[in-house]
Amino acid sequence: MRRTLLGVVPLTSPLYALHPLTRLFTLGFLGVVSLFIDVPEVNAALVVFILLYLRWARVDLSGLRIYLPLTVTVAIFMFAVSIGFPNRDPSFHTFRFAGITFYAESLYWTFASYWRLMAMLFGTIQYFSTNRERETLVAIRSMWIPFAVTYFLSLALRAAGMFLEDMRVIREAERARGLDETSLSLRDRAKLYAMYMIPLFTIAIRRTDEISNALFARGYTISGKIEKGGKRSDYIHTKYLFRARDAVLMVGMTVLLVGVATARVFFGQLTVAQSPLRQAFLHALGGS
Amino acid sequence: MNAVTIRGLGWKYSGRDSFAIEGVDLDIAQNAFVSVVGPNEHGKTTLVSCIKGIIPHSFHGVWRGTVEVLGQDVRELSAQRLAELVGFVFADPEAQFTSMTVEEELAFGLENIGLSLAEIDRRLAWVSELTGIGGLWDKSPYEISGGQKQRVAIASVLAMKPRILILDEPTSMLDPLGKDAIFSILADVKREADVTVVVVEHNVEQVAPLSDLMVLIHGGRVARAGPPEEFFQDCDWLVQHGIQPPQATTFLDRLRREGLFTGRLSPRFEEDVAALRQLLGPPQGGGGAA
Amino acid sequence: MSGQTLIRVEDLVFEYPDGTRALDGVTLGIGENEFIALIGQNGSGKTTLSKCLNGILRPTRGSVRIEDLDTRERGVTKRIVTKVGYVFQNPDHQLFNNTVHKEIAYGPRNIGLDHDEVEARVREAARVCGVREELFGEHPFFLTKGLRQRVSIASILAMRPRVIIVDEPTTGQDRRQSVEVMNFLRDLWERSGHTVAIITHEMPIVAEYARRCVVLGQGRVLLDASTREVFSRPDVLARTFVKPPQITRLAQALEDRGIRRDVLSVEELLEEFQRNRSQ
Repeated sequence: MRRTLLGVVPLTSPLYALHPLTRLFTLGFLGVVSLFIDVPEVNAALVVFILLYLRWARVDLSGLRIYLPLTVTVAIFMFAVSIGFPNRDPSFHTFRFAGITFYAESLYWTFASYWRLMAMLFGTIQYFSTNRERETLVAIRSMWIPFAVTYFLSLALRAAGMFLEDMRVIREAERARGLDETSLSLRDRAKLYAMYMIPLFTIAIRRTDEISNALFARGYTISGKIEKGGKRSDYIHTKYLFRARDAVLMVGMTVLLVGVATARVFFGQLTVAQSPLRQAFLHALGGS
Repeated sequence: MNAVTIRGLGWKYSGRDSFAIEGVDLDIAQNAFVSVVGPNEHGKTTLVSCIKGIIPHSFHGVWRGTVEVLGQDVRELSAQRLAELVGFVFADPEAQFTSMTVEEELAFGLENIGLSLAEIDRRLAWVSELTGIGGLWDKSPYEISGGQKQRVAIASVLAMKPRILILDEPTSMLDPLGKDAIFSILADVKREADVTVVVVEHNVEQVAPLSDLMVLIHGGRVARAGPPEEFFQDCDWLVQHGIQPPQATTFLDRLRREGLFTGRLSPRFEEDVAALRQLLGPPQGGGGAA
Repeated sequence: MSGQTLIRVEDLVFEYPDGTRALDGVTLGIGENEFIALIGQNGSGKTTLSKCLNGILRPTRGSVRIEDLDTRERGVTKRIVTKVGYVFQNPDHQLFNNTVHKEIAYGPRNIGLDHDEVEARVREAARVCGVREELFGEHPFFLTKGLRQRVSIASILAMRPRVIIVDEPTTGQDRRQSVEVMNFLRDLWERSGHTVAIITHEMPIVAEYARRCVVLGQGRVLLDASTREVFSRPDVLARTFVKPPQITRLAQALEDRGIRRDVLSVEELLEEFQRNRSQ
């Protein structure tokens, strides 16, 4: 396991044979493709596919437990809102349970939206469970983005890491001064977070000087230009090879995405009405 | 030609009433190993910042006198040219690690000075061997200790093959093991690399044995400068000026003042032990109390 | 150990959330009016242990009892801090307020003292730490590092703990600053009867100030004895990459010439040397 800013990634993985740009492209693909898919069965299948894919990539799936509360909480909120404030379309099937009127189509739409959200969530989780900041930066540098921008981004990521570490120590220091977070009201907690800003900024300001001196000391200039002429070489970038399979995968994902979008937009496929589960659900209600 | 020639150097940070350093004259020979010692806030860091050109390039203030590195005035050299000539390692290993992996960190300075990829590869291999960080290339800053970060910091500067290497309290945040590792790297650098080393350090005990020249900065001035053998004469004076000489040297100094020792004061522990063994005569049968 | 036991650590195991075992079965007691040094290389468990001693971290297994309190219980934080204080290494991590006065008053307010009592505690702690009242309105950010450290210590002392733990009090300080902060801690121990525990890598400081030394390595206590005894066991110290102070090593190198091996200061070696010569 290797630590990253947000979590851990496996030490070795067959996935690492892919170029970082391909991996970033996968994130984009998984984020967008679900937008065109309303059928919850397909999105659920996508989640299962991502989990299998992560297993293949040697990600420790037990580490994903931390997302479980998130998936449950989201479900509770979404269904609570949908049940409390349903779309009261008179053409919808209704049924009563525990004194509440349920609108079946509205309920099912929430169910479909939930699975779409899950597909996107797991698409993001897969990216951050298999990529470090370094790969993200290489991917971005592969996209002809100016050096200064990518370098700024990399410094920002590094600063975020230091920030989180400082935050942990500061919270401990609060406890050492008799602060019991568990006994605080929500309002006091908000005040507490505002208070953390003082030491965080103090440390950040002191460190800014050191970091900028450290950059000066190593001949960094914002333009990235070399005085003697010639182009600044990009060492890390050359450590990753963009192979034929990367191109094939990216083309494949593009084609698939275009296909899904076409099917949805021009042929009306993949809409919620086509969900077999929905038909069975409505059929069961109609029969009762 | 000297590695560094300083004449009448003075610097006042803007907004301050007095000069941080004033009237400093100093000659540093090429490939010398120089230790700069003295109390905090007395001008050590200001002095080395002037040699690196961080002052006046990145600070506002009043400058007096001249600093030449290898015959060139630092005020006229650009950041990139200075990066090639003078390397600088800071005290806080956290703040100078600006990349997401060790490998990128090592390559960063080399990319800045426009080296080819083949040359970067060669330099990285060389410097990793010298500083013993070969196994860390793939690690991120969250995965390595402060001592390892500091070794990476030194390696990433050494890789640029500066003619002068400045280290500003490189071990102040490290544990004994980390400190030992840094001093052993400095000993290797002194032996192998063709470089002038200037190190600011509180740990006189460890840095003195490596030094060709010791410089005490006190009250913004050079209060004493000389080879270690001369520098440590009169330990009480050094203590009054905020320096803790090595304990063994202090002990010999006390013996000397009581007329019990007439030899040379050495900052090298082994030499002090040898001198004392001679003084005490042949081994005694009983040994010490347990 | 002198007097009554204030803190009792029993078979303490601590694991960080990522599974790293930082402490692996530590048992020790801390009594009244002791001056203790915790030593060992980074990663030996010094800092983790000291954070367990005042409940910042809670044991994974085993227990830490501070008089009648068990740090595993919930809601005891406010009572623990009145018994054991912890000063962090970097003062910037623990200065949360925009004036020195508010900073020192922060702890006493957290534990629910009334206004007059808070005021009295602030003045007392500031006086003990040499923080002048003219500085009460200043922003801690603009103070020198030495003063920021004093304000940090004052803000802990204001809660009147019997035990005060200080993480690396002399790191990055020069000789004069180190002597100043260490003499101050010694006064707390000698004059006010506090128990002081320091975490440090500087063995001459340990030799000069601490009476008891707890040596940690790989999350275990390798040695827990008087400082004199600990430094005469370089074999054990080497297991956690710690060397005795140079003067002790000098004495040990002269052992076969009849010099005692447990010398702690230049003065002691001088006496020993003269005794040896007069034989």
